[in-house]
Amino acid sequence: MKKPRKALMSLFLLVLSIALILSGCSSKESNGQNGNGPEKGGKVVVDFWTFWGSEIRRPVIEKIISDFNKSQDRIEVKHTYLPWGDIWTKNLASIAAGNPADLIINDINSVSTRAKNAQNTNLAKYIAKDPELKNRFYPELYKATLYKGDPYALPFNTDTRLLFYNKDMFKEAGLDPNSPPKTWAELEEYGKKLDVKKGKKYTRIGYLPNYGIASDVWMITADGKGYWDFKAKKPIINDPKNVEALTWVKNYYDSYGDKVINSFKAEFGEETADPFVAGKLAMTTDAATFYTKIRDYGKDINFGVAPLPEMQPGSGHTSWGGGFAAEIPKGAKHPKEAFEFLKYLTDVQAQQYWAEKNFDNVANKKASENASKSKDFTDDGKMVYSAAVDNMKQTLLTPTPLEAPDYTNLINPELDAVLLGKKSPKEGLDAAQKAVKKLVKSNK
Amino acid sequence: MQPTLEQKQKSQTNIKSKKPKIPFKQKEQLQGYMFVAPWIIGFVVFLAGPLLFSLYGSFTNFNITSTMDFIGLDNYKRMFTNDNIIWISLGNTLYYVVISVPLTTAGAILLAVLLNQGIRGMRVFRTIYYLPAVLSGVGVYLLWMQLLSPSSGLVNTLLSWVGIEGPSWLADPAWTKPALILMKMWSVGGGMLLYLASLQSVSPSLYEAAEIDGASAFQKFRHITLPMITPVIFFDIVTSTIGAFQIFQEGYVMSKSGDGGPANSLVFFNLHMWNKAFEVFDMGYAMAMSWILFIIILVLTVINLKLAPRWVHYEGEDQK
Repeated sequence: MKKPRKALMSLFLLVLSIALILSGCSSKESNGQNGNGPEKGGKVVVDFWTFWGSEIRRPVIEKIISDFNKSQDRIEVKHTYLPWGDIWTKNLASIAAGNPADLIINDINSVSTRAKNAQNTNLAKYIAKDPELKNRFYPELYKATLYKGDPYALPFNTDTRLLFYNKDMFKEAGLDPNSPPKTWAELEEYGKKLDVKKGKKYTRIGYLPNYGIASDVWMITADGKGYWDFKAKKPIINDPKNVEALTWVKNYYDSYGDKVINSFKAEFGEETADPFVAGKLAMTTDAATFYTKIRDYGKDINFGVAPLPEMQPGSGHTSWGGGFAAEIPKGAKHPKEAFEFLKYLTDVQAQQYWAEKNFDNVANKKASENASKSKDFTDDGKMVYSAAVDNMKQTLLTPTPLEAPDYTNLINPELDAVLLGKKSPKEGLDAAQKAVKKLVKSNK
Repeated sequence: MQPTLEQKQKSQTNIKSKKPKIPFKQKEQLQGYMFVAPWIIGFVVFLAGPLLFSLYGSFTNFNITSTMDFIGLDNYKRMFTNDNIIWISLGNTLYYVVISVPLTTAGAILLAVLLNQGIRGMRVFRTIYYLPAVLSGVGVYLLWMQLLSPSSGLVNTLLSWVGIEGPSWLADPAWTKPALILMKMWSVGGGMLLYLASLQSVSPSLYEAAEIDGASAFQKFRHITLPMITPVIFFDIVTSTIGAFQIFQEGYVMSKSGDGGPANSLVFFNLHMWNKAFEVFDMGYAMAMSWILFIIILVLTVINLKLAPRWVHYEGEDQK
């Protein structure tokens, strides 16, 4: 009986030693990371996480960082690139492990959700020293970073939806190339005039309301409101204006039918071949950065750009936007220094550089206005950029409600069902409203 | 002389007992432990900890960073009272399991029988049919998304040649799951390989005896081939059922923006769990979901094991 026990004992020792070796390795690794940490030649090292690794974006952000590093001698910002698919999970894991980045670019719409879950740092005490700071941003963007009145991030970049239309096609169809549609009725009327059919097959479509943007944006345009009433803290998905807007999209969609739209989308399913750029679509609604596709792949497209048409005259051209903000993860080692860099990152010089090099909308008002006159842009570029800057005043953000962080997962399937004709717009939106209410209740 | 010899023998046994010779049986045991040690270590170090953690986590409101309060059965209650999508996702998953497991099993057997004929060039055919099983993952899904494209995809083009107007597959909620199952049928080669191996181990003497008795080809298949390969069928059904319940990637990759659309038709249990875990970081809830899935799979596997003696035939084992 003694011997097998001995065998088990040695086995146990083997397991133990392997476990020790494994844990030894991991502790060494974390030591290594700490070694990178606080100081480098007397400077504080700020670890800055972004997902900007592309050959276009990476040099731009790294230039901004190196400019900042050269501008002073106390702080050294180190850029860490993490792929888009990993960055949020890694961020949370590192916060849980107590070893997060000092600054990270994150989704602007979920800043308050992270604030509620103690995942980012309240910036109020830093901002208090610099009360003018918040005035550099578009108010709608700054508002999105607030949780219980305090900012937990500063906005970095943003976007807004615009109408792009092909002026040559307008002329060809007998429309005035300098007056794009202003209302939904006009959009539909012009759209039909711009259709070109060969036999039964469409060779060109005037406009598709569900291409580039989806019906949710039209519901925002209809009444200038999203799915959520932040004051009353409740969903307003099925309000009458939304039903009306979805009905309009659905009817427009049906005027072509599933078959036409599916085959049209299939042909242009990939990002590389855009139907507007290829001359198969006369009008399209997309973010301002869509211009870069026209610039890079279009051949002398004579196009114009305008705000989204409004539902009825006077109901407003409200557009939809999103963007990214920079925040200091909870438990960051050098919040003060990180904030120092954050101020630089959102100041005119850095923001203007980002705007010009990437053709991207930025959160800083002054930088946006400067960029719209930039020498780096062609006339078309300036036209689109200034239209986007103008559009910011009527661009709505849709921050994630704290009470229902995954509400779109309940709404989108209903919108699908409506467009597929399985439910009427009212039925679909009522069902979505009910489901989200239930989610809110269960999250309480 | 006698005593010295006895002494010698004694001292020899003394030496022997100092350097113990392990009896064969115990040595075999020890070797056995050594061989399974890597798996045991792997299980203890990498699996048991996380497993126990997730079991505990399922009773908390764990959100990775700030909260981990014990909330009892709340997560489980929410599943049954306040989450519509979980039922849709369970329905989708069951649909997929119930249709795809029998189809792929039958497909694999059929293919294996066909590829077990002594025809020239058989090796080439075997390679061709096995190839899809080698290719897997996201690349294949993207390929199939193109094949299944409603107007320009190869599948609908082929159907149109025989006068059938193909469905819009991944764009039509009624056809998304059949589309996925069709795609899975394409890669039955992995299962086929198992069946091929077991078919070749069926003793030719059985067939010879049956031929002498005048059995037809179908009778031979029904009464010799099938019973002889039931252990492999059983193994295949158990593992592919477990695998099918865990379907995730297909729904994630083949639906627009990974939401399991259109109209929730590709929301599988694991996809919903992933959304809860990594989109809204409701980890406690997701952990509870994973334990529900574990229980479902456990129950089905136990049922499978209980039913097995009724139809699985092990050679050399007494028939019950």
